[in-house]
Amino acid sequence: MRRLISLLVAMALATMPQAVSALELSSWDLQQSPAPEALVIVVNHSNELNNLSFSELRSIFLGRRSHWADGRRITLVMREPGEAERRVVLREICGMSEDQLKSHFIRGLYTGEILTTPKTLSTPAGVRKFIFNVPGAIGYLRLSDVDASVKAVRIDKLLPEERGYRLHVRVQEPEPRD
Amino acid sequence: MTSRLKFIAQRQSAYPMSWIDRMLRAASRHKAIVLLLLVCCGVAVIGAFVIRDLHAADVEAQQMYTGSVHGLQRIGELQYDAQETRRATLYALTTSDSNLQVEYADQSRNADQRVKDGIEEYARQAKLPGEVSLAKRLAHDWAGYLSVRDEVLASILEGSTKEAVNLDLSGGVPAFELVRQDLNQVKRLYDQDASQRLANLGASWRRSSWKLIGILAFTFVLSGTAVWAVQRGRMLNAIHLAKLQMEFVASVSHELRTPVAVMSSAADNLADGLIEGRASLQKYGALLQKQSRRMGELVDEILLFAATEDRENRYILQPLEIYPIIESIVASSEALIQGTDVAFHPQIEPSLPLVMGDPVAISQCLQNLIGNAIKYGGDHPRITLRVFSAPADNGSEEEVRISVGDRGIGIDPSELSRIFDPFYRSPSVNAAQIHGTGLGLSLAKRIAESIGARITVVSELSVGSTFTLHLQNAKGDDLQTAVGASRPASSARV
Repeated sequence: MRRLISLLVAMALATMPQAVSALELSSWDLQQSPAPEALVIVVNHSNELNNLSFSELRSIFLGRRSHWADGRRITLVMREPGEAERRVVLREICGMSEDQLKSHFIRGLYTGEILTTPKTLSTPAGVRKFIFNVPGAIGYLRLSDVDASVKAVRIDKLLPEERGYRLHVRVQEPEPRD
Repeated sequence: MTSRLKFIAQRQSAYPMSWIDRMLRAASRHKAIVLLLLVCCGVAVIGAFVIRDLHAADVEAQQMYTGSVHGLQRIGELQYDAQETRRATLYALTTSDSNLQVEYADQSRNADQRVKDGIEEYARQAKLPGEVSLAKRLAHDWAGYLSVRDEVLASILEGSTKEAVNLDLSGGVPAFELVRQDLNQVKRLYDQDASQRLANLGASWRRSSWKLIGILAFTFVLSGTAVWAVQRGRMLNAIHLAKLQMEFVASVSHELRTPVAVMSSAADNLADGLIEGRASLQKYGALLQKQSRRMGELVDEILLFAATEDRENRYILQPLEIYPIIESIVASSEALIQGTDVAFHPQIEPSLPLVMGDPVAISQCLQNLIGNAIKYGGDHPRITLRVFSAPADNGSEEEVRISVGDRGIGIDPSELSRIFDPFYRSPSVNAAQIHGTGLGLSLAKRIAESIGARITVVSELSVGSTFTLHLQNAKGDDLQTAVGASRPASSARV
């Protein structure tokens, strides 16, 4: 029965139009965008985590890793679809489009590979408050939205201000082309 | 007259409030208004106490009202915010929208911060040991509930609703129950405190009321007493004056009746032709002359007293040589005592300075004093007239004193303060059948005061009395104007 449901879901996803492909994402016009702002990965202050490799970050954001080293459950916090920060995460970390990500999580839930879906919040303040309240939460914020209520995490041992940091949001993040 | 005086004396001694009357009469003689002034001062002081007491009670009531309102508001807010903390947490359970859940979590945290502030304020204001320990327990229990609340919130936000409910039931409900009990205990303590304050206020009001009643009663009694005292003092004075006037009329009548009777008898004898011979006629003429002169003097004295009654200054003050006046007085006195067994000893200091006064006034004054000395000098009067210079009472100036002394019956010390009152006659003098109007000394005092002088008296019962007229020395510009007018008289020293 479970296998049958998985099959039906996979067929439904295959019939959906592909909005944006990974290749298309790379065709954005970077030359004309204003100076980008760093996108900071933030966790709760009680989390002892200070650094994540990019691959660890990818596995967390794709739901493949469900618990922290201390055994606490990981709760992923995302902005709503369409937000610039979410597009950067999809593009740089997940390497997927919105629909692909959705398919990925539905599939993972049904197969049991993924335990929880990301929590979706509409504002940076909501993200901050969520992470402040949930010890195992991880999310992302523009550098200008980060305050003392959350803790920034190094990525590949790099802080957001440091050279070589990979996650940046343009002030006017381009819409992905269909 | 004597029996009447005795009756009055007996009636006064039998009257139980005689000493009060004497006191009132003495007070009213000086100024009855002083008594009223004292009453006013007393009422003002008492009023100030009443106002202070009422103000203190008012402040206490205001403090209690403010404390009650503030305390009730504080406890109410504390309870509401504690409930709000829990309520907002439970609201987060009712939705799966993470945005709403975060909002509820935020509301819960804001409410719990207000509760923390309230507990800290309560701890700061806690004074009694019970309040202090309760504040600590409340803070501890609240922290315990918050730790559970944080876990519940985290579970709700993570999406573990079941886990959140289990956590709340197992830890949150008991922890919040402790907090609720603590808050109820805070309210109970506050109620006890408010009851105590209410009792204190009631006691304070009762105290104030009793004080007010006491003060009003005291003021009423004091005012009544003052009015009674003033009225009684006036009445006693009026009675006393009426009595003196009656005695005066009786004395004057008596004084007039004797010479009139003598003159009438002499006139009858003359008219009936019973007097024969030149010697008898001369004797009757002298008798009529003496009695008519006595009547004239009496009438003059009464007229003079009436003239000085309005206290207008009828004399002209000027620097005077004292010697001519004394010389005249000595001459008239010696003429007066001629043929009697009165001994008169004038002792006059030479080179006395000029004095300020009026010769007529000084003469009238001294004549009264000498007349008194003769009248009250005993069976064989021995009159001493001393005129000398002495330091004035202020010590910096000199004055001329004229003292008239006798070795007569003297004056009782209790009567010394009254002998200058108009119409006053000592009971002992009346008893001794020494006639008089009671105006002599009063008249002398008024005349002396009208020329800026004064009369003092030193007396000892059965030893004698000395009355002294104190005259101011002339000084300054007055001396220049006096030189020409007074110098010739200086040769007539005695």
